[in-house]
Amino acid sequence: MPGGMQLKAEVLSTSACALCGACLDWCPYLKNIEDHLVLRFDCPVEHGRCYSVCPRTLTDWQAINERYLADVPYDSDIGAYQTVFRVRRLQPIQDQQDGGTVSTLLQTALDNNMVEGVLITGSGDPLTPQPYLADQEEDIRKAAGSRFLASPSLRKIMEAREKGMEKLAVVGRPCQVQALRKMDYNKPADSPPLDVLSIGLFCMWSLSWSFKDYLASTYPDLTFLRMAIPQHAVELYTNEGIKQIPVETVQSYIRPGCRYCLDMTSELADISVGAFEPEAGWNTVIVRTERGRELLDKAREANLLQIEEYPSEELERLRGASHNKKVRGLRNIKQAVDEQKLTPFIDLSSSPYREIIAESSAKEGF
Amino acid sequence: MTMQLSKDPLNVIICGVGGQGNILASELLASALVEKGYFTTVGETYGASQRGGSVMSHVRISARKQYSALIPRGEAHIIIGFEPIETLRVAREYGNSQTKVIFDPRPNYPLSVLIGEAVYPEIEAIVKELRYLCGSVQVLEATRLAQEAGNAQAANILLMGALTAMPEIPLQAEDYSQVLSQRFKGDVYDLNQKVFDLGYKQIAV
Amino acid sequence: MEWMVTVNEPGKTFLMQGNEAIVRGALEAGVRFAAAYPGSPSSEILTMLGHVADEMNLYAEWSTNENCAFQACMGASFGGVRALCVVKQNGLLTIGDALHTAALSGCKGGVVLLTADDPNAHSSTNEFDSRHQARAAGIPLLEPATFQEAKDMIVYGFELSEKIGQVVMVRSVTRICHGRGNVTLGELPESPSSPVPIGEWDKLIAINWFHDVLWAKLDQAQELFEESPFNWYSGPEQPELLIITSGTGWLYSVEAVETLGLEDKVGILKLGCTWPLPEKLVLKYLCKSPRVLVVEEVDPFLEQNVANIIAHNPGLNVQLYGRYKKSALPQSFELNPDVVLNALATLMDITYQSSKTGEVPAEAVVNIPPRDLTFCAGCPHRASFFLLKQTLRIHEGNGVVMGDIGCYTMGGQRAGHFLLHSLACMGAGINMGEGLGQLTRFGFNQPVLALAGDSTFFHSCLPGLVNARYHDSNMLFVILDNSATAMTGFQPHPGIPVNCMGQPANAMSIEKIVEAIGCPVTVADPYEIEATTQVVYDLIKKPGMKVLILRQPCATLAVRSKGRRKVWVDPELCRGDNCGCGRFCSKTWGCPGNIWNNQTGKAEIDEVVCVGCGVCASLCPAGAIKVEGGEA
Repeated sequence: MPGGMQLKAEVLSTSACALCGACLDWCPYLKNIEDHLVLRFDCPVEHGRCYSVCPRTLTDWQAINERYLADVPYDSDIGAYQTVFRVRRLQPIQDQQDGGTVSTLLQTALDNNMVEGVLITGSGDPLTPQPYLADQEEDIRKAAGSRFLASPSLRKIMEAREKGMEKLAVVGRPCQVQALRKMDYNKPADSPPLDVLSIGLFCMWSLSWSFKDYLASTYPDLTFLRMAIPQHAVELYTNEGIKQIPVETVQSYIRPGCRYCLDMTSELADISVGAFEPEAGWNTVIVRTERGRELLDKAREANLLQIEEYPSEELERLRGASHNKKVRGLRNIKQAVDEQKLTPFIDLSSSPYREIIAESSAKEGF
Repeated sequence: MTMQLSKDPLNVIICGVGGQGNILASELLASALVEKGYFTTVGETYGASQRGGSVMSHVRISARKQYSALIPRGEAHIIIGFEPIETLRVAREYGNSQTKVIFDPRPNYPLSVLIGEAVYPEIEAIVKELRYLCGSVQVLEATRLAQEAGNAQAANILLMGALTAMPEIPLQAEDYSQVLSQRFKGDVYDLNQKVFDLGYKQIAV
Repeated sequence: MEWMVTVNEPGKTFLMQGNEAIVRGALEAGVRFAAAYPGSPSSEILTMLGHVADEMNLYAEWSTNENCAFQACMGASFGGVRALCVVKQNGLLTIGDALHTAALSGCKGGVVLLTADDPNAHSSTNEFDSRHQARAAGIPLLEPATFQEAKDMIVYGFELSEKIGQVVMVRSVTRICHGRGNVTLGELPESPSSPVPIGEWDKLIAINWFHDVLWAKLDQAQELFEESPFNWYSGPEQPELLIITSGTGWLYSVEAVETLGLEDKVGILKLGCTWPLPEKLVLKYLCKSPRVLVVEEVDPFLEQNVANIIAHNPGLNVQLYGRYKKSALPQSFELNPDVVLNALATLMDITYQSSKTGEVPAEAVVNIPPRDLTFCAGCPHRASFFLLKQTLRIHEGNGVVMGDIGCYTMGGQRAGHFLLHSLACMGAGINMGEGLGQLTRFGFNQPVLALAGDSTFFHSCLPGLVNARYHDSNMLFVILDNSATAMTGFQPHPGIPVNCMGQPANAMSIEKIVEAIGCPVTVADPYEIEATTQVVYDLIKKPGMKVLILRQPCATLAVRSKGRRKVWVDPELCRGDNCGCGRFCSKTWGCPGNIWNNQTGKAEIDEVVCVGCGVCASLCPAGAIKVEGGEA
């Protein structure tokens, strides 16, 4: 297993980094300010943890699927899953994103001692993501609301270990969920036990922190409350009402690493949560593993969530959107690999990538 | 007592690392010699005056006249080393098959070793090469002895004690003590005198 | 030793350092005023004069730069007292205009300009021959060959200076300044020179009309040099080879002749007065030998002036050898006995064999690791360079760093992670940065940083700062304030409230000056590595001229006043070679206090070297380095 120098060569210097944060904190050589994550000094270690947990180094994703989602029916568009639901909180909370499902699931996990703490991203600033460990309800509420700037929140896993936590819930982007599975899959034999219940978010992309500079220079006198991305629009909620930001402008701030992503719905998570597009105030929830199912059931039993059947046309749309993200991602990966700007982190000749590439090239003259 | 030296000029090199008191040691020695009536020249080489860099003093003693501040290659009669690899460096360039060497085996690690890019050689290997290069080689744990006596930083004075005891050096122990008392007072003088005597005893027969 | 320079025991012989001998010479000459800027190998001179100023009733100052120093000496000279200005080779170039105009105006009280060259650049960026400046400016030049002459020539120099009314240069080199040898003391005057009132018609003006006067003074000096006790010949009546030599070349030549047994074949003409050359004396000996070897440091200055004499005396049949075109000696680097021995042996067709060491079999040859220069344990520059390097890497903008002269110059090497991109002379950092920072308008978008120390700031950065602010260059000027002129030995500068004579001085605040000039200024502590990294990161994202002061006293000074805290490594926690460390403290942080134990495979602290700053403890990824005790 290679080390920090290879990580730098293959991931950090090639813009492949997804800013999941898994490599940070244990290592004194890797450091970030905002979304700049670099090897600040040369690392002499030949076999490094960093390389083994990074979702952008070559991985046998099929083997990982088989380990953690063995008996779950596999779907090539949205990953292995049991059921998809339409969900929302019965009692709304302030600042909740869409249906407030994530906050509710976290609270449920804590209340039922399924976990000792949760790793979430939030802060007093509605735009800036700060990861932190919490075990109290009011701390979870603070994290309510999505933030679209990338945060390397998995850096906090180390802190959880140091605090002696053995069971942790983590809310993460798809790349972070991938890293969490790799952390467990590749962990050394003598590593202290850390059982992670993963709540994966839906994600199309995340933004570079230079977006904040853009907002500060474009709207210098406004206070930002939160950001939302309903279909085909980007809304900025400010103290002077809602500002519409052109989608193209926002897209110019997408992190380069996001363009290689093939996972829209956090396919490796225990349970995945995203916005329910047809109707505001609801979430789409994909139950994957038994633990995910258990979590949702407990929230249902406690009368915290309203859980409804998922409309089939919306499922088709969801699967289509996820499929399209894979097509785009693979196209970007293949192009970058051909131009020798990227070391592939997936085996392009394996399923389902091979099929998707073949299908797309037939359609578009790839 | 005759002024005549066994060799004229008598060439002594005192070498080590910056911060070990190399310059003070050579200055004390040379002052004692001038007091005794000898012409003494001391040449210092200390790079960018930085702690941790190589330092060497060339001390040239004559009953007849003032010599230049640098000893020609291969012409050092005595080498006193405060540090092992510095001693070897100096011996290779300025030593010959008759040179007498006394050195402290306590390493002072260069940056290249600290960062793991170079390996500090074994002291036995250094002694072995020195024995091939020079006439006689003696290891003297000056820092350890000085530390036991009360101050590791006084290793330089201890080595001057050892040097003074060598037959080639036309000084008695009291000559050096006089110079010490001119510069140090009270506890500092006592410690330096004690450490000097300790070094002298290591060599005197 | 200091007490040696003030003791009133004429005829007593001591072991003195060359710089001490110069101080003694100044005191014997009744110097009342001394000014200098620190520069190796000359720094000890003014330091010592400062220490004895009170006792000897004289004034000494570390001027803000050499220009201030030299012209202050001219001012004092105008007031009738004898003034000594001390510069190193690079400082001599700083006073170029001042020196030439001073030579034109002449002086009243004697002025001796002691310039210290550094052949081989042991403590300098370059090796440089100051003697050219004496000739260029048109002032007499003396070169001591021994420690005794280092003292005696100062006395002679002041007498000469007052006799002809001209500044006199005495040129020393590292081997004299920092070497030690026998010096016999002369007499100290009753009291040093006293001020003389300046009348309405007393002038000290440089106008070109005096150019002929300047030549006349040189002619006068030349006459005196013909009889000077510093020039003499020793050797056979008709030498086969004549060595003409000055400065340190003399002792090397004497030793070479003695070692090769050539006393009856080779003669040595030693010159202590080398501009203007005592031509009659030189001619006298040039006539006696068909071959001449000139031995000198650094350039073939003497050699080319002798060649000039030969050219004007076509009857002579002389073959000249020396450093010019490497005809006998190398053209660069320091002389030593071996170089001169080999040159002489070659010219006299003898083989010279130095004594040899015993043979060492190949397998016994030890691989000696090199000893790179590094910052002292606890040096704040180590912290500054570490955080600047990591900030630029994290910023990912290919920041460019312009360096300057001081301890921090070493940051351009491994100890500072090779941070510096450029290096020239004092004040170059900010000026080069200003220029580069103007290229943003042409598409240059890399962050520009310039460094300077606190002493360098006062010495030469003030005009640069004004310039950069006035033109609003896109750059970050980082002042590394360790409260000392550390590289040369902790001399005070205008930011330090005590001067070289131990008296209170009107120290000034760097940030107030910067604010007054109009630059936004931030002050941060380099020991707080992570917090200060964020400060630098935020600053380099902003446009325009910005100043950051990284302030933390020099560790060597701090230890003297505060004592050391104990620092140690808990081996249970130390990760050593493993992933998550990789010897981060000794390998990447690189402080000489952080050492590695090969037997245990753990990091350790070298107690003899560690000063207790505690920065390594803040960097250890395992929290294995502990700090306790002493003052924070």
